[in-house]
Amino acid sequence: MLKLKLEALEHPAPNNVDVNDRKVFASTILWLEDQKIRQYKIEDRVDLRKVDRLDIWEQAYENYKEDLGMPQFQTPLEEITWLLGYAIRLEFLDSPDNYKTINSIEVSKEQNKSLAPSIQAENFFDNMDFNHKDFISGVRALANKLKVPHHSNHLIQLEAIARIVHERLSPSAKNRQAITGTPFPFEKGNDVVSDDPALDYPVRILRLLQIQSLRQLQTKINETIVAVQDLTANPKTDTKLGKVGR
Amino acid sequence: MVVRPYNEELKYLEKISDCCWRIKKEFQPNMKVEGCFYVNSRLERLMLEELKNSCRPGAVGGFLPGVKQIANVAALPGIVGRSIGLPDIHSGYGFAIGNMAAFDMNDPTSIVSPGGVGFDINCGVRLLRTNLFEKDVQPVKEQLAQSLFDHIPVGVGSKGIIPMNAHDLEEALEMGMDWSLREGYVWAEDKEHCEEYGRMLNADPSKVSLRAKKRGLPQLGTLGAGNHYAEIQIVDEIYDKWSASKMGIEEKGQVCVMIHSGSRGFGHQVATDALVQMEKAMKRDQIETNDRQLACARINSQEGQDYLKAMAAAANFAWVNRSSMTFLTRQAFAKMFTTTPDDLDMHVIYDVSHNIAKVENHIVNGREKQLLVHRKGSTRAFPPHHPLIPVDYQLTGQPVLVGGTMGTCSYVLTGTEKGMNETFGSTCHGAGRALSRAKSRRNLDYKDVLEKLEEMGIAIRVASPKLVMEEAPESYKDVTDVVDTCHIAGISKKCIKLRPIAVIKG
Repeated sequence: MLKLKLEALEHPAPNNVDVNDRKVFASTILWLEDQKIRQYKIEDRVDLRKVDRLDIWEQAYENYKEDLGMPQFQTPLEEITWLLGYAIRLEFLDSPDNYKTINSIEVSKEQNKSLAPSIQAENFFDNMDFNHKDFISGVRALANKLKVPHHSNHLIQLEAIARIVHERLSPSAKNRQAITGTPFPFEKGNDVVSDDPALDYPVRILRLLQIQSLRQLQTKINETIVAVQDLTANPKTDTKLGKVGR
Repeated sequence: MVVRPYNEELKYLEKISDCCWRIKKEFQPNMKVEGCFYVNSRLERLMLEELKNSCRPGAVGGFLPGVKQIANVAALPGIVGRSIGLPDIHSGYGFAIGNMAAFDMNDPTSIVSPGGVGFDINCGVRLLRTNLFEKDVQPVKEQLAQSLFDHIPVGVGSKGIIPMNAHDLEEALEMGMDWSLREGYVWAEDKEHCEEYGRMLNADPSKVSLRAKKRGLPQLGTLGAGNHYAEIQIVDEIYDKWSASKMGIEEKGQVCVMIHSGSRGFGHQVATDALVQMEKAMKRDQIETNDRQLACARINSQEGQDYLKAMAAAANFAWVNRSSMTFLTRQAFAKMFTTTPDDLDMHVIYDVSHNIAKVENHIVNGREKQLLVHRKGSTRAFPPHHPLIPVDYQLTGQPVLVGGTMGTCSYVLTGTEKGMNETFGSTCHGAGRALSRAKSRRNLDYKDVLEKLEEMGIAIRVASPKLVMEEAPESYKDVTDVVDTCHIAGISKKCIKLRPIAVIKG
């Protein structure tokens, strides 16, 4: 306890305070008066400073206790404990607002953290129950609103919703230029799929999706090339070099 | 070589559909697989006449007829499926031009042949679109043709105007179109719309002779001579409206620019060097062929690997070449119309290679196999949803650019599923020669040819006019016949027809 209080007061060597060593005791009292309590003016602390001459110091300490109004104690430990408490109180009263927010819950949290670093849940979705009936009904309602076809697995439906939001409703999609040109009738391409429309139609859709993702990849590749070209390109022509025919 | 009377020869050929003929295994010795060729009635006559002429007693010299060449290729080790002749086929060195053949990569005896790629490695066609229309261009087409002619060096011995040193060349050979991108000559989207993304990753410039590099360095960014050209074209017909719209072609009258070029002297030297090496390899590995011109080496041999790496470097050279010319074309147009290439929407629609060998996966007899596909005068034509075609063309199939000859139409086709199954995803590449170069020179006068073009309202700029008759439309098969045959056979589908209004030639 003594050590904790010394730590709280930011004593330079809280582990090495032996109250039974009179000299150490004396210098700890002096440190408290100098740094924290400041009962006397600096010039009046002369006798308390004389820790090397315990006879003078003991007299000064008796006066000091009286001046502070310390109750009568039996042991030096009790005395120093009282003194530390007194100093902490003074420290607290200097600016009580600083300690307002500190309570046992906060402190225990702080301690737990230091003991076992727990992962702070940053994404609140992580703690969500995706199979809760409220969640499922939310997904279904959203799907109805966006006209996403029903799927028995609401999570797959949610993926489709996310895609629609990303492709059509996100700010970047809204600012995108409308595609101009003639629409490409995909159901009568040069490619042969199947005579069975039940097979033909979905295969064509899948292929279009594949082409779309390939197109995105190729566009990224082109963008990268253009970025590199900004650094490397320096096309030159020198018509003096030219020679036409023989 | 077996020489039989024409009537005897015909017994080995069988018409199996309206526009496809089968060449039976006994037609030439050692045929491992059958051959076939696609022709309509007019092209069929040309094809058989060629065979007939070669059966005449005393017919020696020159290339073998195309049919014989297809059959000889079918006798090469490791060939799978069929040796396929496309409608524009005509005789060439070893392989006919317009012949495609695939070899099994997992068969240790399979070969790679420089003759199956051709001397102009990665010769190909690139098509740029613009948002201009005929009415914008007609009044200024002469100036525009001149401006293009000033920007793009053309003709035999022409030199590029993009400064290049030996170190740049090494990097370009390794990086292909990525080099052009890094230096800022082309747009990121250009790479996306290019076969192989404009770079063969196995290219190794150290496998290329110093001589090839010396020939190639000054020629980078030049059009070259021969059948190479840059043309300003007008959309004349749209057969497949929605495929065309995917390519950014919305209406008739839209202006495009077609660039037909290859790897110039560089590729020629790479092929020549490889042929020398391969003759040695053939002796060592005891590879027998029906024709000395079919020099080849096992894919896994040192010579085979070296050739593939050097060929890839030459392919990269050709892509850098076409990219440089794309840059110059955009500059010429931007200056003419005092705007930017961006505002003219001068995007690359596609870039095809029609002289190349590539490793591809195909289904053979119901099983997936890794093949080395030789396409000489044949364009890859992959169907919709093939993973190797750009995402923008996943629904339409790969655009196939078929360049006509000077003054005739060009076509854009798309790849089909049927082509994937029948011809390893290959189709025609152009008109295909009907008369040899020498014959054209003898029979035609260059002045007549130029006059005729003028009559047709085509602005023309030529570096060496005296060679023009070699490339006159009369020297070629009718490209429309060729394209229609591919369309009817179903190995590719017609999409757009383009007609030229200005030609820049070597």
